[in-house]
Amino acid sequence: MTQTATPPPEPPVTPAGRDLIDRISVIWLVPLAALLVVLGVAWQAYSERGPLIEIAFDNASGVRAGTTELRYRDVTVGMVEDVSFAPGLDRVLVKVRVDQEVAPYIDGDAQFWVVRPQVTARGVTGLGTVLSGVYIEGLWDNSPGAAVTQITGLPDAPLERVGQDGLRLMLRAQGRASLVEGAPVVYRGIEVGRIGRPRITADGASAEAEALIFAPHDRLINSATRFWDTSGFSFSLGPAGAQLDFSSVAALVSGGVTFETMISGGTAARAGDDYTVYPEESAARASLFRGDDSEVLTLSAVFEDNIAGLTVDAPVEWNGLRIGQVSALNGVVDEDRFGDGRVRLLVDLAIRPGRLGLEGGAGRDTALEYLHESVARGLRARLASASLLTGGLKIELVDVPDAPPAEIETIEGGDLLLPTTESEIADVSATATGVFERINALPIEEVMAEAITLMQNANALVSSSETRDIPGSVNALLDETRGVIGAPEVQALPARLDAVLTEMETLVAQIAQEALATKLSTALTDASAASQGVSDAVSGVPDLVARLDAVAQKAESVEIDALAAELTELIRSADALIAGEGAQALPGTLNATLEELRSVLAQLRQGGVVENATAALGSARDAADTFAEAGRDLPGLIAEAEAVLAQARGTLAGYAADNGVGRDARAAMREVERAARAVSSLARAIERNPNSLLLGR
Amino acid sequence: MRTARDMGLVGCTRCMRVAPLGTALCPRCGSILHSRDPMALQKVWAWWLLGLGCYIPANLYPMLETRTLVSTQSDTIVGGAVTLAQHGNWGVAFIILVASVVIPVAKFLVLAGLAFGVWRGTRLSKARQHLLYEIVEYIGRWSMIDVFVVAILSSLVQLQALATITPGRASLFFALSVIFTMLSAQSFDSRMIWDSARPPDDQEDRQP
Repeated sequence: MTQTATPPPEPPVTPAGRDLIDRISVIWLVPLAALLVVLGVAWQAYSERGPLIEIAFDNASGVRAGTTELRYRDVTVGMVEDVSFAPGLDRVLVKVRVDQEVAPYIDGDAQFWVVRPQVTARGVTGLGTVLSGVYIEGLWDNSPGAAVTQITGLPDAPLERVGQDGLRLMLRAQGRASLVEGAPVVYRGIEVGRIGRPRITADGASAEAEALIFAPHDRLINSATRFWDTSGFSFSLGPAGAQLDFSSVAALVSGGVTFETMISGGTAARAGDDYTVYPEESAARASLFRGDDSEVLTLSAVFEDNIAGLTVDAPVEWNGLRIGQVSALNGVVDEDRFGDGRVRLLVDLAIRPGRLGLEGGAGRDTALEYLHESVARGLRARLASASLLTGGLKIELVDVPDAPPAEIETIEGGDLLLPTTESEIADVSATATGVFERINALPIEEVMAEAITLMQNANALVSSSETRDIPGSVNALLDETRGVIGAPEVQALPARLDAVLTEMETLVAQIAQEALATKLSTALTDASAASQGVSDAVSGVPDLVARLDAVAQKAESVEIDALAAELTELIRSADALIAGEGAQALPGTLNATLEELRSVLAQLRQGGVVENATAALGSARDAADTFAEAGRDLPGLIAEAEAVLAQARGTLAGYAADNGVGRDARAAMREVERAARAVSSLARAIERNPNSLLLGR
Repeated sequence: MRTARDMGLVGCTRCMRVAPLGTALCPRCGSILHSRDPMALQKVWAWWLLGLGCYIPANLYPMLETRTLVSTQSDTIVGGAVTLAQHGNWGVAFIILVASVVIPVAKFLVLAGLAFGVWRGTRLSKARQHLLYEIVEYIGRWSMIDVFVVAILSSLVQLQALATITPGRASLFFALSVIFTMLSAQSFDSRMIWDSARPPDDQEDRQP
């Protein structure tokens, strides 16, 4: 290469440093613009970012700074920026950057909770959070309020949902009713509400839970509304057959509550009202007529006796009205209060003030005041038999008129102690046992055996041929007796007896006339002769009289005895006797006897005795004549004779009729008369009472 | 050796026509003719700064958001490479790390070093500088492989609920960063390496 001839021209060089603009390239505008854009974006982001709120949670499981969102109506309105502990490490503070447009609405009543996946019997919720991670859900109303920066988050989702207004109630489970978190409140098959998380009431007596009845269904609730549990199932066996009830499969598993307004006229419910959830519909309906059971007045009572049979839920009655029940049973030993170390029965009574029917609302205080007054008037608690069969006991409140003064004491722990009185327990079992023992002791079997034997004997007797023949024999006997009585000889018997008596009267008259009237003087004259003998005889007269008396009495009694024996014998051998020929011949024999009697009397009248008497009187006159002749001047003798005569006359007057043959005849006649009378009475008796033959009476 | 400038000529960088020195516009294609662009270094620095600015968020923000049925994963470039390495995919992790971290960073360093060398002088030989420049220019475009991977994955893996991959914010910045560094490299006039190396009394002037 060779050197060129012409030197290269000076390259035109743009003069440097003339101007700043000339020296700086336009290309710098690009990074400048980029810077501006960045600054602009940054400023915008800063100016548009919302406030930072701090939410305190119990735990922050799944919450991560920069990832976990805050959502409202499922739209992200914020982002967790920081997760840290509160001082003391008892809470987790989650700082959330909230979008500026929603920030004004987050005021004091805003609620925040962490949405986590939940698998319950009613379904799976928050499934999306399994994949995307948890998020924080916020709930606030539609009106802006004063901004807050520190809020306590809820552990669980609240009952409310966005756009669901409603009526908040407090449900209290009664008995077996169960409240399950998240369980639906169903009305006519439609879910109209939801139950919140249940908790135990402060007194530990039941469980309660908040419930939300969604609008507009909340107008269905009023004071006459009753709730009951529809969970589980009920099985009943009745006349209509077996019945299995359950409201829905979901409710069967997870529980549920339904309600109905049983009667009209309730007042509208207010937020926070208490309602009782009954275990079943029937209980809910029954509760309508029992007044408000929600309030309970708890009283205690100490009983001296520890008596088995009182159980929890035993009734507490006042004048037969059930006003509550026994809520607890305890033993109590309090040496200071009772003075000894014995165990006493401490009973807690749950009184329902609503059942007392007090005016002005049945509040607890009203009821207590009323009880105070009643106790001052003599109201006492006592144990009483509730059931005769089971021996169960109940508590009775009774008015004891002359009770020692007492009042409701307040013991330690704030319990109210109701004064008690003696128990009234009917020991039915003891009484019943006694009755049964007595019945048991009765010789029923022996009695029955004897009765059976008696019946058998009677049967044999009645069925025997001899017994059957008796009526016939009796008839025959009666006929024969009638024949005997109706016979002409027997009919004629009285007439003849009459004749005999008449004759005897005349005989006696003759004796009197002849012996006394005509021969008295001779008798008197002869008396002196006989006086000595008579005197001798007179000394034996009283003895004789007494003997005679005894003989007569004996004879009477002997005769009656003999007659009775004879009659008995006669009755026994009545058949034979009456049928015998001797009986038939009796009238004839009687006739013969009478004939003989008449002949004896005739002989008597013809001479016999009267002549002998006359002769005796004649000899007596002779004896008297001799006396007169021998000593007429012996007045003493005469007086003596007069006395003897008087004595003799008395003796004769007393025994004349009984002496000698007359007495014999009269006795014979009396015997005959008696025999006749006996026969006739026998006949009458047999006529009147034929079975006397059988019975012997 | 003589340059065109020594010979009073200026070459058009577009159509390679040589025109006498002092010609403002290329007589063939009409582009502006410069013997040397006086603003070249400024352009280099401007693009370089922009590229670096974009590279910072490209590493801070997630490059790829993988949303599967059970998880949502968003990884930055380095984080993703680390995750892959933890799972045993050393090869893939190495490629990603080289393509997304080593090369861009090396590019920034080389460009800055070259520009500084042109401005203040350097101890590196001209040939070595030129070699570095050529490597940077050649390899720079391959940095876009990361962006391509993100784009392909995002368009292919769209299985709705099962798995979704969306490009993260970093991918945009990364792409911008690559573009800006390429522009920066292009703005660098390799002739300046040689210009600065030549003292006013050139060897070739002393050549016979």
